[in-house]
Amino acid sequence: MAIQIRMRGKAENGVAEVKALIKHPMESGLRMNQKTGTPYPALYINMVSIKVNGVEAITSQWSGAVSTNPYMAVKVKANAGDEVVVSMTDNAGDTGTETIKV
Amino acid sequence: MKRRSFLKGTLATGAAAIAVNAGLLTPSTVLAADWNKKAFDAKTTDDALTSVYGSAGATASADVKLKAPAIAENGAVTPVEVDASGITGVESISILASKNPQPMVCEYTFGAAGVGFVSTRIKMGQTMNVVAVVKAGGKLLKAEQEVKVTIGGCGG
Repeated sequence: MAIQIRMRGKAENGVAEVKALIKHPMESGLRMNQKTGTPYPALYINMVSIKVNGVEAITSQWSGAVSTNPYMAVKVKANAGDEVVVSMTDNAGDTGTETIKV
Repeated sequence: MKRRSFLKGTLATGAAAIAVNAGLLTPSTVLAADWNKKAFDAKTTDDALTSVYGSAGATASADVKLKAPAIAENGAVTPVEVDASGITGVESISILASKNPQPMVCEYTFGAAGVGFVSTRIKMGQTMNVVAVVKAGGKLLKAEQEVKVTIGGCGG
């Protein structure tokens, strides 16, 4: 299932702040199931990439210590009308991509 | 009892072997090649920083602006903001939580179009320091702040 991303971005003086809300359980693999005593298997986003007009601007690596349903805000050099693409992959191989014009 | 646990053991390993053979586990292992597993598995901040930057010797700098709450009512969603846009040539920003079982939380690498600013929410198990490390121009700079986590306190 694709990872759902909600994104918003605004360019001001050549710098755009891009905010994203991602729907993901971000299971660290350390949380115990109280009934069975076994940990919930790890499931978290580990690779995130942000591209501006097709050029890699920021790449990021995450661990399971990023909160459930992650919020991310970054700044990139972009002018109004530029295309920003955020894509991510979790450790189970699921991917998600979202494109906006800032 | 012994026979039971023996059977359990063989069944579990058997299932794992079948999964590998069927190619079920391959996608994640292939992706993990890119992901700095060593850094994220490290048990101390120093180990984690050494795996990412090759050195743990970061100097404290006022140019690294770390914004985190003094008291987090819910450690599972601690907002953290690192602003290093005052520094030129920011190559990377890492956020670590010093006493988490695996302190490395996230690492951002910046290309030409990136600006040294990151804001996110992280999980913290207890009261500890949040550390932001910025690599700029071959130097490691850091900022540190203690966050009190009050799980089970008022409203918890």
